[in-house]
Amino acid sequence: MKSTQYSEKTLDHFRNPRNVGTLTGDDVAIGRVGNPVCGDLMEMYIRVQGDRIAEITFQTFGCGSAVATSSMTTELVRGMTLDEALEVTRKDVADALDGLPPIKMHCSNLAADALHDAIRNWRGHKRLEPLSAEEVASSGAGCGARDVNLVEGLAEYAGKGAFTTAPDPATLADRRVLVVDKGEPSARLALELAKVTPRVVFVTELDTLALGEELSQDVKRSDVKVLFQSRLLSLGGEGEVEKARIHDLDEDDEYDLFVDAVVVLGG
Amino acid sequence: MAEDVYLDYQSAKPVDPRVIEAMLPFLTERFGNPAALHAVGDKAMEALENARRQVAAFLGADPAEIVFTSGATEANNLAILGYASRNRRTGDHVVISEVEHISIHNIAKYLEKDGFTVSKVPPDQYGRIDPAKLRARVRDETLLVSVGWASNEIGTVQPVPEIAEMLRGTGVVLHVDAVAAEGLVPIDVDATPVDLLALSSNDIYGPPGVGALYIRDGVKLAPIAMGGGQERGLRSGTENLPGIVGMGAAAEIASAEMADEAARLASMRDRLIEAVLGTIPDSHLNGHPVTRLPNNAHFRFEGVEGESLLLLMKDAGISVSTGSACSSKTLEPSHTLISCGLLHEEAHGSLEFTFGRFSKPADVDRVMEVLPEVVARLRHMSPLYPSE
Repeated sequence: MKSTQYSEKTLDHFRNPRNVGTLTGDDVAIGRVGNPVCGDLMEMYIRVQGDRIAEITFQTFGCGSAVATSSMTTELVRGMTLDEALEVTRKDVADALDGLPPIKMHCSNLAADALHDAIRNWRGHKRLEPLSAEEVASSGAGCGARDVNLVEGLAEYAGKGAFTTAPDPATLADRRVLVVDKGEPSARLALELAKVTPRVVFVTELDTLALGEELSQDVKRSDVKVLFQSRLLSLGGEGEVEKARIHDLDEDDEYDLFVDAVVVLGG
Repeated sequence: MAEDVYLDYQSAKPVDPRVIEAMLPFLTERFGNPAALHAVGDKAMEALENARRQVAAFLGADPAEIVFTSGATEANNLAILGYASRNRRTGDHVVISEVEHISIHNIAKYLEKDGFTVSKVPPDQYGRIDPAKLRARVRDETLLVSVGWASNEIGTVQPVPEIAEMLRGTGVVLHVDAVAAEGLVPIDVDATPVDLLALSSNDIYGPPGVGALYIRDGVKLAPIAMGGGQERGLRSGTENLPGIVGMGAAAEIASAEMADEAARLASMRDRLIEAVLGTIPDSHLNGHPVTRLPNNAHFRFEGVEGESLLLLMKDAGISVSTGSACSSKTLEPSHTLISCGLLHEEAHGSLEFTFGRFSKPADVDRVMEVLPEVVARLRHMSPLYPSE
């Protein structure tokens, strides 16, 4: 069975998704599940009146079944009490869509989970919003104080794609460069590099840019790709830097990113 | 109602009507077995050897250097496994590029289980292999290097002539999977000293189920399937004569028409690339901006997922391909896009357009009627794409 062999009902909900959007207000709770790395990220917004879901909307980045299950879930639970909605399972959603391809049952059928997350957040009075830079820093997860030598391979690849001082951007023309967030000088360097190569990745352990208003805007407007909540662990490659091992702090997941050079200022 | 548009030529091509015409007699009155000793067999042998000459001429090879197979996958297997098993006493190391077709990656995986070691060369951000990076991986025990002439996904053309030149005299054999490039860019094994080169018939508008392996004179392989000893003992099994005749005809047409066709395809491709990058915000071209196949345009769109894009394009009657994990059997994103340095979520948002012999300029117009709206619609519901 092809991964895209969807039922007519699934395709209908994909083509004409119901209740797309966001909600705001004191009577709104948000649930979020998934990870863009896996290709799915879902958010459910519920407006609670009395003990019932008076209104529900969603935002989804994902494949056909991710969209369809989100849409169907909103249809299924609108008007339900919170307890009733907690009883709605992934299988109920899949059944309501006349089934999903087996390979899609787990990966992109997360809408019920997002709904449950929203209900739990409502009951726990938890407002789901991006954490501020100060919160992250004070929780001890921030950068700055950490010993840069923890990046494995920085010394081994010195002069072979690893830099601890600002390199001459001209020498990195057209290369994939990863710059670790070391505050404003590193961000300025990333912007300089973006003038000579289309691929600059700025890795920060924070979930926001803590660079001052103007510089943050410059980075956002530039072609620099920012990797939030991520930590550079080690460098790899045959005789020169070819890969960077990244720790996704949010998902607690590790992966390799193919790069040609890495800059850790002060490392 | 708009006409359906097919822009997925890299995954399958229609057979050219001229090829079908050449094949038809071999399915009816000229049905012989080339090995049979009677007159019918002689005629079949004649047709087989004629097709071999046509394919050899397409590559600038000697007809004796061509072995017909059931397709490019078999040709790749025969080349790599056949060479490795025949020569394992002289080495146990193989080098491939990260941007190879999945069939090469899986052959390498099989070799690793069989006791060989495999090194993979990463490409630059445009999918291009740096010959020096490849050279750094070649060592005394290296038997063979395998690099595709061009990427079937992102269309980047590899510097095969430089790689071949660099390996000359080292004793290391160079195998090239030429499937994505054949019929689109000139391939001349006389000018470019590759040792082994795999072709597929369908990729030059011949019938599916046929392929060929070029084996430079003097390169020794062991067969991978045992049987009646056809094709100099390298590929047993009665020859698929109608298919082979079709491949021969397709090769002849490709030889004659490639230059004009490539220019025609490139003009449609360039117009699409310009229109997409100019019209759709936060869209990017994957692969090399210049050194790419004339028929390939490969994009990624921030904040949207490729399978969703593909489904909405399908609803509009447009057939395209994606590198998104959500459309693959393994749920892994394209290894080619990842090795170019893309993050998973970036690779998920990619869409591939490949033009072909029966594409027309109006196809580009139709895509541009549909695509910007489809991207905008998916972005509207995406939490990853900030709304203004």
